[in-house]
Amino acid sequence: MINFEEELKKFHPSLEVEDAEEAIYNQDLTDMADLMVKVVKEAKKAEIQAGLNIE
Amino acid sequence: MICYQCGCTLSEHDFCTNCGADVALYKKIIYISNRFYNEGLERANVRDLTGAITSLRQSLKFNKNNVEARNLLGLVYFETGEVVAALSEWVISKNLRPKKNIADDYINMIQTNQNRLDIINQTIKKYNQALTYCNQDSLDLAVIQLKKVLSLNPKFIRAHQLLALLYINSEEWERAKRELTKCSEIDTNNTVTQRYLKEVDEMLLPEDGVKQSQRKKQKSEDIVKYQSGNETIIQPVNIREGKGVTSLLNLGIGIIIGIAIAVFLILPARIQASRADIDEELRKVGEQSDAKTATIDELQLQVNELTKANGDLQQNLEAYLGTDGQLRSVESLLKAADAYLTNPEEITVVADYLEEIAPEENEDAGENSESFENLYHTLLALVGPSVAQAYYDDGYEAYRQENYEDAIPNLEKAFKYDAANGDALYNLANSYYRNGQEEQAQAAYRQVMELFPGTEKARKAEAFLEEIGSED
Repeated sequence: MINFEEELKKFHPSLEVEDAEEAIYNQDLTDMADLMVKVVKEAKKAEIQAGLNIE
Repeated sequence: MICYQCGCTLSEHDFCTNCGADVALYKKIIYISNRFYNEGLERANVRDLTGAITSLRQSLKFNKNNVEARNLLGLVYFETGEVVAALSEWVISKNLRPKKNIADDYINMIQTNQNRLDIINQTIKKYNQALTYCNQDSLDLAVIQLKKVLSLNPKFIRAHQLLALLYINSEEWERAKRELTKCSEIDTNNTVTQRYLKEVDEMLLPEDGVKQSQRKKQKSEDIVKYQSGNETIIQPVNIREGKGVTSLLNLGIGIIIGIAIAVFLILPARIQASRADIDEELRKVGEQSDAKTATIDELQLQVNELTKANGDLQQNLEAYLGTDGQLRSVESLLKAADAYLTNPEEITVVADYLEEIAPEENEDAGENSESFENLYHTLLALVGPSVAQAYYDDGYEAYRQENYEDAIPNLEKAFKYDAANGDALYNLANSYYRNGQEEQAQAAYRQVMELFPGTEKARKAEAFLEEIGSED
């Protein structure tokens, strides 16, 4: 049985056209490729750091 | 595909041929993004818009630069009525690839049509207002508002779902189902729609289930099934063929029903149609009659106007005739003057012309000019005595011969042209007296006495007056 009150809570106000700009700016555009590049960079940095420590 | 480090185009190798970066993992990420894009496209093709949104968002999670996926996501959002979300995706897409991007067309399509943009904004505001009404427990107002929203944007899935939820809450199952069916037509695999639809179907099904089971039961009672060897025999029960009387009775009832249908259904319809035709004819005839009446009135008006114009013309004609009479007088005067100047001896001709003038009538009307009057009187003075003498001679001769009928007009004219001719007046009075015109005679005798007092004629006139008086 559907609970009206609970279901109603799932509906949120729709974004108005005036708010579109703000929504675009606030959108998180980080993707998996960004994360990979970051991980690779950090790994390289860690490797360099480790090499320096050995020396 | 380009290298994430140097931007150079990648080859089939797992490293960048330009900078040597390891791109194996990067390539896999891009491949996964593309696979999700393909999946999203397939789902969008079969109108599984919710599934398409999920796949395309996954695709963008792996590769934010997948412009095709982003454009398609915007298009799917637009189809579900989420215009602002669609615009956001297209704007980001355009920023990622400013040239040769279909998102540019989409944005222009919305932005160039200000009216459409206004409608979109209005739709969103009304939807938000409806949601506010729901939270304030003003559900009737929310329903009205949502109906307005859907009339402006019939593809707004969330509005359909919210309206269906309100119908479910008020147990209007059929209406809820109608809204959810519309949702399903736009987005075939929306989980919220499916959930609501399941609930609605459960509420609608029990009655149908009972009816269906009853129908099945009844059907099973109507037939008898049994196995005969390898064959299943299905035989109807309780159905008998009608016999003679029953058939006739049924036939009779059928005919009666047929006649009743003809009388109560077909006939009134035909009568009504005939009446409508007659009414139409009457209306046409009425219109024609009105038109003719209007024409007659118009013609009558024209006749009146023409009669009036004719009267005016008649008056003008009469006025001209009057003028003509005056002209004739002038002409006669001129002729008289001409005759006198040509041959002064022919005084009778001049006198005839002067007779035609009859100036006293025109004098009464005051229409004669001064020069006309002067000429007339001058001519009269010139020819008057001669004319008077001529008339007197003729009159006296007639008097002597006791022809008073001729004597009277000649003597009248003689006195008219020469007022000093007392004999003419006296003999005129005698002619009247002897002709039996005593009143005229008395008047003439008195005139003799007044104009020529102390003369023999005056004394005789007095004697005659006394004689006439004694006779009376």
